[in-house]
Amino acid sequence: MFIVLSLVLIAASLPVLAEVSVEDDLKNTITLEQPAQRIISLAPSVTELLFSAGAGSKVVAVVDYSDFPEAAKELPHVGGYTQLDIERILVLQPDLVIGWKSGNHPDTLEKLRQLGLPVYTTETRYLEQIPVTLEKFGRLAGTSTIAKKEAEHFRLTLQKLKDQYQHKAPVKVFYQVWNKPLITINKENLINQVINVCGGQNVFAELSNIAPRIDIEAVLKVNPDAIVASGMRVERPEWLDEWKDWPAINAVQKRQLHFIPPGHIQRQTVRVLLGAEQLCQQLDQTRHRIATSSTGNNQ
Amino acid sequence: MKPPATKADSFSQQQKLRATFWLGGLGLACLLSLILALLTGSISVSGYDLWQLIIDTLTLSSPSTSSNTLATTVMTELRLPRALSALVVGAELALAGCLMQVLLRNPLADPYVLGVSGGAAVGALFSIMSGLGAFWVSGSAFVGALTNLLLVFGLSHAKGVWSPSRLLLTGVVTAAGWGAVISFMLSIGEDNQLRGMLFWLMGDLSRASLPGWHGLFLLISLVISALLARPLNMMLRGELQAKALGVSVYPLQITLYLLASVLTASAVTQAGSVGFLGLVVPHILRLSLGSDHRLLLPATALAGACLLLLADTLARTLIAPQQLPVGVITAFIGVPVFLWVLQKSNRGLT
Repeated sequence: MFIVLSLVLIAASLPVLAEVSVEDDLKNTITLEQPAQRIISLAPSVTELLFSAGAGSKVVAVVDYSDFPEAAKELPHVGGYTQLDIERILVLQPDLVIGWKSGNHPDTLEKLRQLGLPVYTTETRYLEQIPVTLEKFGRLAGTSTIAKKEAEHFRLTLQKLKDQYQHKAPVKVFYQVWNKPLITINKENLINQVINVCGGQNVFAELSNIAPRIDIEAVLKVNPDAIVASGMRVERPEWLDEWKDWPAINAVQKRQLHFIPPGHIQRQTVRVLLGAEQLCQQLDQTRHRIATSSTGNNQ
Repeated sequence: MKPPATKADSFSQQQKLRATFWLGGLGLACLLSLILALLTGSISVSGYDLWQLIIDTLTLSSPSTSSNTLATTVMTELRLPRALSALVVGAELALAGCLMQVLLRNPLADPYVLGVSGGAAVGALFSIMSGLGAFWVSGSAFVGALTNLLLVFGLSHAKGVWSPSRLLLTGVVTAAGWGAVISFMLSIGEDNQLRGMLFWLMGDLSRASLPGWHGLFLLISLVISALLARPLNMMLRGELQAKALGVSVYPLQITLYLLASVLTASAVTQAGSVGFLGLVVPHILRLSLGSDHRLLLPATALAGACLLLLADTLARTLIAPQQLPVGVITAFIGVPVFLWVLQKSNRGLT
């Protein structure tokens, strides 16, 4: 109670701030009378981006699995991103709610809008969107200086990776989301773009579903040069090594079974660069193995 | 007019011919489905590769140099185990469905109506949520199914009064209880686990390995059901009549319940809850063959086996490399076939 009261007092004592108006990923314009002071994040990736944009101290609540950065773990929860507790959101009196189109239920977001809350909806389809979103979050929260710096850093790093790897010899990559059932990704997934940045080619890019379920035979047929998996935790999943039963696959022959922690590649946040850097190095190793073994054959 | 008991007792020459024709035909259909299943998939396999594999296996020789090794491994390591387990699961479900319909004397009965699959699902989902391996998932599914079996059996006997309708009500309500637990688990599950959980619930043969003891169990069940066929025929006339004809009804009902439940438990342990098969296959055959259980029970098992194997082959090849849940395909094939047979038939559904 005391905290709420003091926040209200602080807010009241601040000079009148300029109105901010920002367009979200669904092309809706969100207008705030002043930069947001009480933000609720409805997706783990949004929480991360808010902290990166320097708005971490203005986040008052998050959803389950918002486990990065460390400070986000301390914040109160308003449910899981598929099942939000609208009443808790209202009790916290946010002046901005940031939702996630492919995670939150559209009816819930609409309900929040009807209740008079400004709702910004994110939908990250391209790596290039991440710095833009950072800057928008910066404007919404009045932390533009930090957000711009972070966005610039993201753009530079991404460009550096592209310059270094994108045009190297292509490597056929199979990205395995899960083993049972066997699930991969198509070209609409952000991970597909990370693979492309590193000069890899996603072998299942052309499938129609964003997370298609396939079978082992399909993998044998496309015969990838590298298999990359993330699993669920920070450790390498045991099932990645099950591919060793299939020595017919190039990736197995050349021992190119790679692991990237899920937090570094499956979330649409700044940390995707960590995953990208890691993947680029791994694919470069694969490239090297292919080159040495083909010269070996020629001798 | 002959007394009914002797009529049911012996197969006439014509009946024998008819039984041989149907069972032989269905057996052949299963064999053809198996060959089709071995030949189709993303990796192209020629008839010659299959022939070579059969010859090598029969003569116990090591693969000859001319054979295509990748094709051979794909057939023996991927397609054969999956096809065999489709055959076993299909036969088990169809047989269990047929037995349940006789036991409960209800045409809507299917193998899952008494909650066996619900109990198995709770077990399986629990171990998927705890991040345990495939062995634990099927192990706990089996434990869940057996728990349900004992629970429903115990509850329906609670005050010593036992009847199929009491059993049905107890089972249906228990199944609803499992359903609530499943919904709860799905609503708190993590994303990646959720996919595995949903596929388990829809029925999925991609996890299946060689049937092993499940196959042995199916054979034993077929022998038991062959022994039960005659008393079951008498049961069709109603409990009183059957009793008058010397059938001990209560032990028969218990045996039916146990047999059908354990068959279902074995099926869901291998493939999750593949829907629909256990309801419709027995009906289709009853409509086409009549309700003499001496022919109906083995024919149902064979038809269920073929249908599930065909459906699974379609499920993994129709929009390959993407995979469909096999339950969807069984329904797509089974519904029109069932409606067609029902339209053509003038038999009742008992």
